[in-house]
Amino acid sequence: MLDSKIPEGPMKDKWTNHKSKIKLVNPANKRKYHVIVVGTGLAGSAAAATLSELGYNVKVFCIQDSPRRAHSIAAQGGINAAKNYPNDGDSIHRLFYDTVKGGDYRSREANVHRLAEVSNNIIDQCVAQGVPFAREYAGYLDNRSFGGAQVSRTFYARGQTGQQLLLGAYSALMKEVGKGAIDLHTRCEVLDIVVVKGVARGIVVRNLLTGEVTSHSADAVILATGGYSNAFYLSTNAKACNVTASWRAHKRGALLANPCYTQIHPTCIPVHGDYQSKLTLMSESLRNDGRVWVPKQAKDDRSPKDIPENERDYYLERKYPSFGNLVPRDLASRNAKYVCDDGFGVGATGEAVYLDFADAINRLGKDVIKARYGNLFEMYDRITNSSPYQDPMMIYPALHYTMGGLWVDYNLMSNLPGLFVLGEANFSDHGANRLGASALMQGLADGYFIIPYTIGDYLAQNPSGQIDANLPEFKESEQKIKDKTQKILKIEGKKTVDDFHRELGKLLWNNCGMSRNEKGLKEALEKIPEIRDEFSKNVNVPGSDADLNQALERAGRVSDFLEFGETLIYDALHRKESCGGHFREESQTEEGEALRDDDNFAYVAAWQYQGVGKIPNLIKEPLTFEEVPLSQRSYK
Amino acid sequence: MKNTIELTLKVWRQKISEDKGKFETYEVKDIDTSMSFLEMLDVLNEKLTLEGDEPIAFDHDCREGVCGMCGAIVNGEAHGPQKATTLCQLHMRKFKNKDTVVIEPWRAKGFPVIKDLVVDRGSFDRIIAAGGYISVKTGSAPEANNQPIKHENAELAFDAAACIGCGACVAACPNASAMLFTSAKISHLNLLPQGQLEAKERVVQMVEKMDEEGFGNCSNEYECEAACPKEISVSNIARMNREYRDAKFSV
Amino acid sequence: MSNLLSYFKSSIGKKQIVAVTGLMLILFIVGHLAGNLIFYLGPEAFNKYAKKLSDLRPGFYVVEFGLLVVFVVHMTLTASIVLENIKSRTVNYNVKKSSNQRSLSTRLMPFTGTILIAFVVWHLLDFTFTDKHGDASVLQDGMSYGLYGVVYNAFTDPIHSGLYIIAMFSLGFHLNHGIQSFAQTFGFSSPTYTPLIKNISQWTAIVITLSFSSIPVYVLIQFLSS
Repeated sequence: MLDSKIPEGPMKDKWTNHKSKIKLVNPANKRKYHVIVVGTGLAGSAAAATLSELGYNVKVFCIQDSPRRAHSIAAQGGINAAKNYPNDGDSIHRLFYDTVKGGDYRSREANVHRLAEVSNNIIDQCVAQGVPFAREYAGYLDNRSFGGAQVSRTFYARGQTGQQLLLGAYSALMKEVGKGAIDLHTRCEVLDIVVVKGVARGIVVRNLLTGEVTSHSADAVILATGGYSNAFYLSTNAKACNVTASWRAHKRGALLANPCYTQIHPTCIPVHGDYQSKLTLMSESLRNDGRVWVPKQAKDDRSPKDIPENERDYYLERKYPSFGNLVPRDLASRNAKYVCDDGFGVGATGEAVYLDFADAINRLGKDVIKARYGNLFEMYDRITNSSPYQDPMMIYPALHYTMGGLWVDYNLMSNLPGLFVLGEANFSDHGANRLGASALMQGLADGYFIIPYTIGDYLAQNPSGQIDANLPEFKESEQKIKDKTQKILKIEGKKTVDDFHRELGKLLWNNCGMSRNEKGLKEALEKIPEIRDEFSKNVNVPGSDADLNQALERAGRVSDFLEFGETLIYDALHRKESCGGHFREESQTEEGEALRDDDNFAYVAAWQYQGVGKIPNLIKEPLTFEEVPLSQRSYK
Repeated sequence: MKNTIELTLKVWRQKISEDKGKFETYEVKDIDTSMSFLEMLDVLNEKLTLEGDEPIAFDHDCREGVCGMCGAIVNGEAHGPQKATTLCQLHMRKFKNKDTVVIEPWRAKGFPVIKDLVVDRGSFDRIIAAGGYISVKTGSAPEANNQPIKHENAELAFDAAACIGCGACVAACPNASAMLFTSAKISHLNLLPQGQLEAKERVVQMVEKMDEEGFGNCSNEYECEAACPKEISVSNIARMNREYRDAKFSV
Repeated sequence: MSNLLSYFKSSIGKKQIVAVTGLMLILFIVGHLAGNLIFYLGPEAFNKYAKKLSDLRPGFYVVEFGLLVVFVVHMTLTASIVLENIKSRTVNYNVKKSSNQRSLSTRLMPFTGTILIAFVVWHLLDFTFTDKHGDASVLQDGMSYGLYGVVYNAFTDPIHSGLYIIAMFSLGFHLNHGIQSFAQTFGFSSPTYTPLIKNISQWTAIVITLSFSSIPVYVLIQFLSS
């Protein structure tokens, strides 16, 4: 049984009580405690800056050339908070309730409640840092409704909310770096988590410019290394996003929770060709005014303008008359897949649906549409060479976010003492489906307002320092990494790293994408080891390990995806119910909607590593719902 | 439907910082014009790999124009020929069949070449660390709506805050000056009431760090603004000039 | 004190000093032009004006020395900035395209600056450090017309006039960039004023160039028609 360490007491008091009971580190002693933070997205930067402000000795590692480039930067829409500025009835309880329901009852209530509680502090903090949130003409902060929410609780900064929040956290981080309080290492990739006598004691990193492998010890290690969407090769994630740090922590004993919960975003630009390297998301806000349709006739290759109104199927409006085009992400995505699978898809590949603004332009005028979506239309035009003012957009769902991740308790500590996991890399707050504008909220909540308390509690109970990076555990790990690198370089096979990555991605997308069934999952379990096996014999990684070698970097990441992918499938296979982003075809209502099985699956599935290719061991953390009664979602 | 072109690429190859480096010529065929520029380089790299050569190193990450990681001088223009577009968002339909495309790394003393098209932009981080922040500790922030901000100032601050730190301004400047980058951050923070208390120290420290990093002087040629994928205005440089002068002569 | 010292060493400080000295030089040029235009009032008025100026000496030497200092500061600081700029990019691009953003005046700055330095030396030798009552001042009627005569004679030579006019056009281009730059460097920039400043600097440059150039043209026309 896993102990999630949820504090006692009524839901609304748990966090307050917990904060007043946790142990504190004496201010004079904080400097003696060394903390390593890996990753500089919202969660990592916020945590590093805050811990340094508190006086801890902080070392930060990031994979890019600058902490400012972390992928949080690409988030467009906004960040939720329960400020209730619009006076429309929002509250901490309502934000909490919506998030638990939106997660399809597969998240931990106590964590979500805490998230809603600190959401307001985040907005205060970011505004004080100079984050330029949208404002009304009177100068006060503006809010909008997002992702079908019934209150306007989303704060936004044009279509670049993630960028502005990240630059805020980055500036806080650089403030500490400038003071000499944080030791920042850029272009470094973490390749191992070192565990000494069951406790996380440090990391081993490879300097991506020199190839040098070094060990760094600490009193606690924080992983804020993001999600694993890139296991699917094509996703909206940045190219460097990977599962390596999480996976290698998992191999050292950290449990991996709910890896099958992946979010597929409905409005992305469709795949163009085999060369495609990534997918681009178009903000969800487009569905506020765009109408989704496909031709009623299959394989209709007429230009969309030549298809008369009565030959168009506005399938979301038809199936979900009350929510229409604004149904949640998972429904919008799945229905796009259905119509395309049935041959109604449009575009060169038949894997796209129209998102049409013609009605909105007629009704509101081009200027209004331009003011609302001008940037997005330009971006679409730049990529596809087609103007959404004239022709309907073509969209298709794409992998976007992963709700699963390393298992953490209420204190955000994994089952390995001393290893904390923040942001998208952990699993706890979004359940089986994340609501729009919640990812930014969670990353910053973890980094600014949760870890600074909970890590203190852990450190106060453990003596500081004196962990030697020369311990045999570190040296063995370094050697293992060097050996693995040499092995990969010596294969000199006939396929590139990307060939394997594409193959794995296609398999995961087809067999464990928007909808999943037992047959497909079992097939994937047979094929993944084959790909992995071929990778170890036939991959070609040119160059050396003594300088910048991007193919070598990718090879390491892909080899981890090839191992991780299997665990993802095991998780999807064992969860025979449908919930949130995980749609098992065997478990659906008569109308074809996702059917949860609360009697058998209201738990967190935490997997324990047993070896490459071996079935991982399942450990369950039961979920109880005290505040939000379990009910089936309905958007009819 | 498919449109393909072939190109001659002249790409800067340099194994390590200390090497002299030189141009190598590559022929690429069957380039689908709906590819992005970086995807075209991917295709070439896949080919080079299988032929036993080392692929061309180039920085990239989000590939949607916001992380600021990518960038190269393409036929003499930072991020290539399309206005307000990062290299990753540039598509091959902007090129003609049989074109010769010369690809060079950003060139500046403040951006030493690491390998091929990859340069070290750590100087930008150091400029930010010198003062590109508001010193508010986590937890000490007041209620967000206590301080309304003039809509116009908020918008101007945002325009400046849109900088992605790619370095195209430096690369395009005839003098390799980093004034657009530095001034954008100064404008963003100094235009907001929250940034006022530290405004003077900020401009002085950031400008002096910028000078120390070996960037050139501004000669008001505005090549930076033309190259900026986020269309940051040179009026930010004017604001920085003014604030620097005021800070230096205030008692 | 170290605060001020660092200002003078900083990129922005240097630029602002170049801008201020540039502005002073413009004021001088405007004054100089006003004097030149007296040429149209005939030899008597022109020579009288010249004499008045030289009668102000030795006190006027201070002003002239000041002007020299301003000119030298403007020039040497610019040179030091240029040297720094060269050092800030050690390897040049193989192909470099300029955007349309860069006006002709801006592109020509290094050339117009150099031409103006050469011109100032030539101009001083030509009209200042010269015998104003010698052969060069004698016009067709055989009489000496002082400085007026020296100027008149010099401009009857089309090559001389041509070089002078080229220098004045260089001045015009230099000023067009310089005046706008002054505003930018000192931080006068706003959506409303920047276009206005651009217009002002353009028109100032045009008026100054044409006014200066009009004198040799006037002389040539007169000379050829007589």
